[in-house]
Amino acid sequence: MHQFLINTSWWVPCYGLLAAILTLPWAVGLIRRTGPRPAAYLNILTTAIALIHGTFLFNAVWGQPPQYLEFQWLQAAGLDLSFALELSSISVGAMELVTGLSLLAQVYALGYLEKDWALARFFGLMGFFEAAMCGIALSDSLLLTYALLEVLTLSTYLLVGFWYAQPLVVTAARDAFLTKRVGDILLLMGVVALSTYSGSLNFSDLYQWAETAQPAPLVAALIGLSLIAGPTGKCAQFPLHLWLDEAMEGPNPASILRNSVVVGCGAFVLIKLQPIIVLSPVASGATIALGTMTAIGASLVSLAQIDIKRALSHSTSAYLGLVFIAVGVGWTDFAFILLFAHAIAKALLFMSIGSIIMTTTCQDLTEMGGLWKKMPATTGAFVVGSAGLIGLFPLGGFWALQRGIEDFWLVAPWLVAVILLVNGLTALSLTRVFRLVFLGEPQPKTRRAPEVPWTMAVPIVTLIVLTLLIPAILNELTLLPAFGLVNVPGVVLLVGSGLAGCVVGSLLKLNHTWTRPVQAPLRFLQDMLSYDFYIDRLYRVSVVWVVSSISRFSSWCDRYVIDGFVNLVGLASIFSGESLKYSVSGQYQAYMLTILIGVALLGAILTRSFW
Amino acid sequence: MLSALIWIPIFCAAVIGLLPASVSSSRLRSLAIASISIVFAWSLYIATQFDVIDIGLQFQEDIPWLDSLGLTYRLGIDGLSLPLVILNNLLTIVALWCSDTSIQRPRLYYLLILIINSAVAGAFLAHNLLLFFLFYELELIPLYLLIGIWGGTRRGYAATKFLIYTAISGILILMSFLGLVWLSGSNTFEYNPLMSQGLPLTAQIILLGGILIGFGIKIPLFPFHTWLPDAHVEASTPISVLLAGVLLKLGTYGLIRFGLELFPQAWSVLAPWLAGWAVVSVLFGAFTAIAQTDMKKMVAYSSIGHMGFILLAVAAATPISLLGTVFQMVSHGLISGLLFVLVGVVYKTTGTRDINILQGLMTPERGLPIIGSLMVAGVMASAGIPGMTGFISEFLIFRGSFEVFPVQTLLSMVGTGLTAVYFLLLVNKVFFGRLPDALANLPRVSWSERLPGFGLALIIVILGLQPNWMVRWIETTTTAVINDFTTVAAHLPNPKTIDLPLTPAVSENPLPVRLN
Repeated sequence: MHQFLINTSWWVPCYGLLAAILTLPWAVGLIRRTGPRPAAYLNILTTAIALIHGTFLFNAVWGQPPQYLEFQWLQAAGLDLSFALELSSISVGAMELVTGLSLLAQVYALGYLEKDWALARFFGLMGFFEAAMCGIALSDSLLLTYALLEVLTLSTYLLVGFWYAQPLVVTAARDAFLTKRVGDILLLMGVVALSTYSGSLNFSDLYQWAETAQPAPLVAALIGLSLIAGPTGKCAQFPLHLWLDEAMEGPNPASILRNSVVVGCGAFVLIKLQPIIVLSPVASGATIALGTMTAIGASLVSLAQIDIKRALSHSTSAYLGLVFIAVGVGWTDFAFILLFAHAIAKALLFMSIGSIIMTTTCQDLTEMGGLWKKMPATTGAFVVGSAGLIGLFPLGGFWALQRGIEDFWLVAPWLVAVILLVNGLTALSLTRVFRLVFLGEPQPKTRRAPEVPWTMAVPIVTLIVLTLLIPAILNELTLLPAFGLVNVPGVVLLVGSGLAGCVVGSLLKLNHTWTRPVQAPLRFLQDMLSYDFYIDRLYRVSVVWVVSSISRFSSWCDRYVIDGFVNLVGLASIFSGESLKYSVSGQYQAYMLTILIGVALLGAILTRSFW
Repeated sequence: MLSALIWIPIFCAAVIGLLPASVSSSRLRSLAIASISIVFAWSLYIATQFDVIDIGLQFQEDIPWLDSLGLTYRLGIDGLSLPLVILNNLLTIVALWCSDTSIQRPRLYYLLILIINSAVAGAFLAHNLLLFFLFYELELIPLYLLIGIWGGTRRGYAATKFLIYTAISGILILMSFLGLVWLSGSNTFEYNPLMSQGLPLTAQIILLGGILIGFGIKIPLFPFHTWLPDAHVEASTPISVLLAGVLLKLGTYGLIRFGLELFPQAWSVLAPWLAGWAVVSVLFGAFTAIAQTDMKKMVAYSSIGHMGFILLAVAAATPISLLGTVFQMVSHGLISGLLFVLVGVVYKTTGTRDINILQGLMTPERGLPIIGSLMVAGVMASAGIPGMTGFISEFLIFRGSFEVFPVQTLLSMVGTGLTAVYFLLLVNKVFFGRLPDALANLPRVSWSERLPGFGLALIIVILGLQPNWMVRWIETTTTAVINDFTTVAAHLPNPKTIDLPLTPAVSENPLPVRLN
């Protein structure tokens, strides 16, 4: 039974894929009579099967040494490309998280997208999405991981572009694809280089190679940087971070996954690549620098957002920044716990704001207020999710951040400050959102706000319970520190920073009707934060401008220089023919003269050597 | 066995030409499709009989023809030509399927397409330099007529440009062939990789230059490419499918067969320059494609970029990179065929190909959602998303070339990234957004119009997931080619001691210069 479970572990990602393929008849409109619902049920069913299968698998691998499955894929010309799967408690646990959240998000989508005509297409894409993420969790081959990351890029594009008739969605989908693609191409460069230098792309072989290899510092740095680039795009880290914010135009059930496990997949890959990245101090330094910049910058930016989803998506970037820092320093345990706690808490927050958006059909914070009385479950979800995210004893976020503080306390105290700052700013941002949405007087759009239907409420309540249970889960997984070993000053600082954020957030003067400050410096600050430090404009005048100018220049060259020259040759030959035809005059004298001149020239050339 | 691949289409072309004019166009089309299907089935049968571990030519046929000229009818097939022959037949079926049944002079049209099929098959199979040249030129005239008669408004210009360019290409190739045979003192045009060995390096480089420019026009490579966008824009959909899918492959095939294999020493000297040329071609194609507004032009420029990868890989000349080139030829044939078929459907239903006019075609019921979905698949395949053939060929090319030319390879990979840029722009502009009122009453797309798209997309995905099904036919040949190449290229004659003598000269002590 045990071995059977191990050998069939590759079925788990296939369930989602299978469902996505089986959904096609509904998605393309071949089956109309039943409506799109059966496709949705089919996907939910396969996800549930994947979850159950995964649970058995988790029991089988728990406490065991990692096991590996290898599939031959392509052997040719001395190149051996095989796909390896790693079955360890971490990889199967990550897969469980993916399938579990995917199941909840799909049930949630049943309510959220109830009236959408393209429900079948949505569920097909979700199945595809889930399959790719499960595959990344299990994969032990860099090539397979790269391939699945690209598939994830593609499915993100299609999911963000789900409502493709809206102009903002179109640009959001485009930016999501292109930004991630930049990271992916850089990652591919690293993959090709690693494959050439080490000869294998399985992680275990790569680790062995990394132990003994002595690449030149420049080569190691370039490889390290290219390997970081892929996760940077996936985890929405500076400078490839803008897509996540824009992607919030997509349907919310996909946003739930995107902000919890999709970014987590990128970080998971980064953690897997960590032993290779540390070959170069430049690369680890870059990881820490990117992580720090994003963590602080995104926390600040989220304070000034008007769109409720965007406010939260920036905090996703910030938390993933902390993961980047952890990987750069080398403390992957902190990274794993933070990813886990963040994924569940963030999924809950996104479910909560999804219900708000569904009920009010509005994402604008300034048009909301007074919802706490009308939507108790949603309010509860927001509160619990926030508590689980920030360092509030004894929920998941607390244990994760506490672990980070413990790790960095001696080696890099300034990183402790970064963690505290991010925690405080997140608390501040969440308090601000909470006050704007749930407290205060009801506004026109929030006056009639019934609680969401059961299809959405059930996943929400499940996740509330799960978020509250995270300490117990961590305890079960023996990830909690022994009580006597807790660093007391660190804990005090952590809780203090969260409290400070909440206090500042509740004392902050918020005004619905008049959200831009009058004082010029303050207004400048708020504008700068709400427009993401104007980074999109910076891109427009730098990268985008460069590419479009080069393309216009090369197109101009093509039309006028190269083709112009070709046409000139054609024109010249036609013109000379046309003009020479006038020499056909019928006068023998002229012909004789031409022949004579020709012969004379020929003679002169032939006898040149005698002169 | 192989002759059937050449003569069945010719025979059917003759039959179609002799049929009375009263036979309807759709019946002629069915006849043509049936005949090419037979040839396609025959080529698949040959593939099953093909011995994948044999490094030599298989199913050889050798009939003396004009001995005094050195021209023999010698055919053979190996792992390099087999996939291309199958691709040729497959895409001819697709092209015939997409042909409009209401065209003028249908008999001539189908006859010409069949002749192209036959000539291309002949060129891939020929193992005599002159015979190859004959087939290479034979394909030219039907294509000229197909663009010139059934093309768009500027068809005269485009067809003439195509004709002149390709004729120059033919002349250059013929000159190199003649030079090679005469300088090496051989009295036959028999294909022999050792022919250039005795020649001084300068002579080899000059002859190889002719080959490179000749096939560079056909491939096409920057700056010899300007005929391609014009020809594509003016040609009708089926002709574009043939042109991009099959005829460009003659150039890349020639590059390997007559460049790399015939001139190993000169090739290894020029290889760094060729890699640089490839980078320029890749980046130029990609950047120019971004600025295009005509969908067909965009796909045409993308071809220039993707063919540049092949030059890079052939320049690197490692077993993996050469395997990648053959894979890339097939996958580019399938993918560009798919894209042209889809663009053709869009053009037929909407009457325009301008990406600034088209919008929102993904809209269900009134738009073209299925064509749009296939377009997304084709575009992603072209951009090298894993799971489709484009990824495998590009990965093999990059992986194989990186060992030899790391910088050039990395620059070419930027080209892959740019592919995503322009094709995403295309999909976003044409298929996403709101369907404007002007496009609200599009004619329905029948399933028979969608079928070629589905078929090609399916093959692209299957070969992308299971590349072994193609690699095993190719691998032995490409590895053998590279083995021969490296052993010959290692013995370079000293270029300084000899100064282009007219008699074959063998350098006494070849210097063991190792390149790379």
